[in-house]
Amino acid sequence: MEEHVPAVINLTYLWKKEREELGEKVIETIKGFGAEGIEYCMQCGACSSICPLATTGFEWYNRRLIKAIDFGIRDELFDDVTPWACVACNRCVEVCPRNVNPFEVMFAMRRLMIEELAVPMTAVQALKSLYDHGHAVYTTGREARKKVGLPEKPPTTDSDEKALEELRVLLRNTKLPELGLFPMS
Amino acid sequence: MKKPRIGVYVCHCGENIAGAVDVKKVREFAEKLPDVVVARDYLFMCSDPGQELIKKDIRDGLVDRVVVASCTPKTHEPIFRRACEAEGLNKYYLEMANIRDQCSWPHWHEKEKATEKAKQLVASAVAKARLLKPLEDMFVELNQDVLVIGGGIAGIFAALDIGNAGYRVYLVEKNPSIGGNMAKLDKTFPTNDCSSCILTPLMVDVANHPNIELLTYSEVESVEGTVGKFRVKVRKKQTWVDWEKCTGCGACLDACPPKAMVPNEFNEGLDTRGAIYIPFPQAVPRKAVIDIDACIKCGGREFGEAPRITRDGKEILAPCEKACPTGACSRTEPKNPEGEVVELEVGAIIVATGYRVMEKTHFKELAAHSPNVITALQMERLISATGPTEGKLIIPADIPKYKAWKKKGRGEDIELRSPEVITFISCVGSRSRKYHTYCSRVCCMYMLKQAMQLKESYPDLEIYISFIDVRAAGKDFDEYYMRCKELGVKIIRGRAGGIQELPDGRLLVRSYDSDIGKPVEIVSDLVVLATAIEPSSSELARKLGISLGVEGFLREKHTKLYPVDTLREGIFICGCAQGPKDIPDSVAQAKAAASSAMALLSKGKMRVEPLIAEVDMEKCSGCGICAPLCPYKAITIEHDGKRRAEINATLCKGCGVCAAECPSKAIDLHGFTFEQILSQIEVFAEFEEA
Repeated sequence: MEEHVPAVINLTYLWKKEREELGEKVIETIKGFGAEGIEYCMQCGACSSICPLATTGFEWYNRRLIKAIDFGIRDELFDDVTPWACVACNRCVEVCPRNVNPFEVMFAMRRLMIEELAVPMTAVQALKSLYDHGHAVYTTGREARKKVGLPEKPPTTDSDEKALEELRVLLRNTKLPELGLFPMS
Repeated sequence: MKKPRIGVYVCHCGENIAGAVDVKKVREFAEKLPDVVVARDYLFMCSDPGQELIKKDIRDGLVDRVVVASCTPKTHEPIFRRACEAEGLNKYYLEMANIRDQCSWPHWHEKEKATEKAKQLVASAVAKARLLKPLEDMFVELNQDVLVIGGGIAGIFAALDIGNAGYRVYLVEKNPSIGGNMAKLDKTFPTNDCSSCILTPLMVDVANHPNIELLTYSEVESVEGTVGKFRVKVRKKQTWVDWEKCTGCGACLDACPPKAMVPNEFNEGLDTRGAIYIPFPQAVPRKAVIDIDACIKCGGREFGEAPRITRDGKEILAPCEKACPTGACSRTEPKNPEGEVVELEVGAIIVATGYRVMEKTHFKELAAHSPNVITALQMERLISATGPTEGKLIIPADIPKYKAWKKKGRGEDIELRSPEVITFISCVGSRSRKYHTYCSRVCCMYMLKQAMQLKESYPDLEIYISFIDVRAAGKDFDEYYMRCKELGVKIIRGRAGGIQELPDGRLLVRSYDSDIGKPVEIVSDLVVLATAIEPSSSELARKLGISLGVEGFLREKHTKLYPVDTLREGIFICGCAQGPKDIPDSVAQAKAAASSAMALLSKGKMRVEPLIAEVDMEKCSGCGICAPLCPYKAITIEHDGKRRAEINATLCKGCGVCAAECPSKAIDLHGFTFEQILSQIEVFAEFEEA
């Protein structure tokens, strides 16, 4: 996994950037994207102990992401896929003793990345698949389904033209069309 | 003589004794010892049913001597003595064998040998019990005055509580003013009250209190005697200013020439003071003193010399003398390097000598040489309205510039650098095997406090605190920490390991954030080191005969149960002299020490064990060997006009030194007579032979 956070974190560079370039503290930006509880984090790490991202080796899982944001790191994380890998299992929300809602931090980071047009390819593929089939992760296997006597498409949005269209309407009403990551006609 | 009837009571102490010693075997062994009429064992002999076993045997007339084989007499002798007394048996007919602390615990893994040793200890106790004599307690008169040493917040509270209760208090402080370190603080956590605002009224109360005699600029010279009658010599340093006349106007301060300037203790060396000085504006008493070591002796006139006279008969006075409107300042006063010695007699002593802040000079790796690396107490002075800059936040390197500008009457504008970035570094000298292994306890909180104060006054400041971990374990403390974080103070979790001074004087701090798992660096204009709290001098402890812990803080008698007592009865300790602590804890301990002292003195007399030495006048030859050996000065070599040793029962502590040394065996120690001790030794000798 590519990592752009430097080996030594230069805090001077970060605060000056917040002040002179961004005009706002990164933590405030993230709060604005829905993670209002982030400042209550005391870095206990309970969220990371059960986070599927942390346990599968993603670098910038909840606790580290929160601390990075607190220090003013943001652009350095724009190539990182961790927020897009979040499966929204909600376990971190359950265990957090300070109601930080780490899951919201992950999603706020996604929103910031969308805003900054900094979406990793994996995320683009997932979004495209969601738009095309109604599934972020679309499994092939139509042959296998046919062989065992099942319909080619599963009985989900994928095979329900009406439901799929409803989903596309929803997606067309988000910021996605503006970004033009993939055709959404 | 009637044969003694001894009862032996062997305690299991749960598993504490029974886990290593075969209690049943010890009991069976005891049953066969001479004069033992009954031996019993029980799970907890000190419990109500355990004591009842003893009481019943006494009540039934079965026993008239009691041997308890259990734990230490230090904690349990009073309990078993009371049990004897309750049944009308003289309590000195009790003897204890310590088969726990001195047997089962140290020999836990040698069970058979432990049982053998327990038998020996019991046999020796029984041998002594056969020779025990009834004794009566004595009562001695107590002096009810109290000496409090140290005029910081702990000493002030101890003195006020005792004074308010109606006892006389002497408060001795080595500096010219009371107030201690707390007087230097700007605000105090966790409520951010202004330190002076809450402290100054208390200082004034002390000064005006009818029961408190304040002895400032004084030090305890020597302490003799014992509880109830300590004789203390206090040395008052010479001030060269008649405090009766000094009004504290401060006219002399400006007269002192620049050459005589020395680092100002009150501002932690951030600026200077003259040789004649008043420690700080709210000083109590607000009186000037001349620091003879700093004085440059204007006009070449030594201290104690009369001023020279001009041709027209006028005295040539020193600038300070000339400036004084009341004639209080006089360098003519005869020089008395010894100072004035005041002798006091007190019943109890409370030691509240506080702490020192560790100096930054040890930490070369943290750029200690830079004026912009300061200790936290210096930071307090820097943000205090009574500090070197009147609370104006500038980098310390610019303080001299500021001072010069102020002296010139604040004329043209000057450029003073205000910090943009401040970094705090925790555990500097604390939790270290190189310096102090203990946690200084208050640093986490005062760093947060200073950060909060700064952030509230200057919201644009970037503030970083480099912690190993945040220890905010007091009432309302964690909430305080969180409030500080919400203000935008950034926490670096890891202690900075290096600071590099940049060519422009700024400081590159290298730390490590273990939350992210990477090194971090930050260019700071000002760095605050939370240097350790260190014990104040050990000299006083030696004079008082009380002990110090490994780290040099005064040692309490028992960490949990007797936290303000010392091993020397009648001497109590409180505040940071006992160990690092914050203001609420210091005050609580001061009040505890005051109440313990008063509990001791309130009756005006004290029960004393009669376990003291007595001279047999028939045998005494008056050789006088014993007198100089007595550590309590209890022996005089005169009795009824003859040359004989006489022991003052009030002063004797029963140490036995005199009895051991007497060549005529004329001195015996009650409760530990020659006969009794020899009988015990004989028992051990018999075991050895067998």
